[in-house]
Amino acid sequence: MPYFRITLLRSAIGLPARTTGVLHALGLKKRMTTVYQPVSRDIAGMIMKVKELVDVQEVEERRTKAEMKELRRPDPGFYIEKRASAAP
Amino acid sequence: MFGLFRPSSPLSGGLLWKRPWRMSSPQKLRHRLRLRAVDSVVATVDAALTRQGLVTKNVERWKNEMPTEAEMLPKDKYTMFDRKERRYRKGVHKLPKWTRVSQRLNPPGF
Repeated sequence: MPYFRITLLRSAIGLPARTTGVLHALGLKKRMTTVYQPVSRDIAGMIMKVKELVDVQEVEERRTKAEMKELRRPDPGFYIEKRASAAP
Repeated sequence: MFGLFRPSSPLSGGLLWKRPWRMSSPQKLRHRLRLRAVDSVVATVDAALTRQGLVTKNVERWKNEMPTEAEMLPKDKYTMFDRKERRYRKGVHKLPKWTRVSQRLNPPGF
C-alpha cells in the first residue's frame, strides 16, 4: 500500500491558523518531523494546502519512528571480533 | 564623501530597515528553487494519485491554472501586480510571508 512520506521543512509561524490546523491534522507539530499518510484524496488535499512548507515523497512502506532513527545512525567505524567474556 | 563617515541613508537618518526595491540575484535563485520545490510536491502528489486511479479537484485545478517555474516569465517570477505602485508592479519580496506563499498569477495585461 503506497504512502506519502511528508516532512515539515518550513514552520507555519505567522501564517493563518488554518495552516497550523492542517499541519496538526497531518500529524506535523515540529519542523523536520516525518509522517507517513496513505495515498488518498483527502490527504492529497491537505498536502496541497501546505505544499510550500513540506517535502513529499511516495513510498511503498511506512516506517516507525524507531526504524527511521536506526536509518540515521552512522556507521560505528569498528566491528567486534571477540567478546572479552568469551576470551580465554 | 568616502570612508567611515560618508553620508549614507542609515548614517544620516538613524535606524533604517528597508527592503530594497528589487531582489538580488541569490535571492532570485533561492526563490526559483522554492518555486521548483512546490512544483515537485504537486507532481509527486499527482503521480501518486494517478497510480491509484484517483482524481482530486484541488490538484487538477493547480495543474490547469498555475504555470510551472519553467513556464513562468521572469516578470511574473520576480514581480507582482500592485495597483498602488508606479507601472503597477512591485517586487514579489514585498509580499508578506513571500517565501511561504504561492504568488504566480497576475492580472492579464499588467
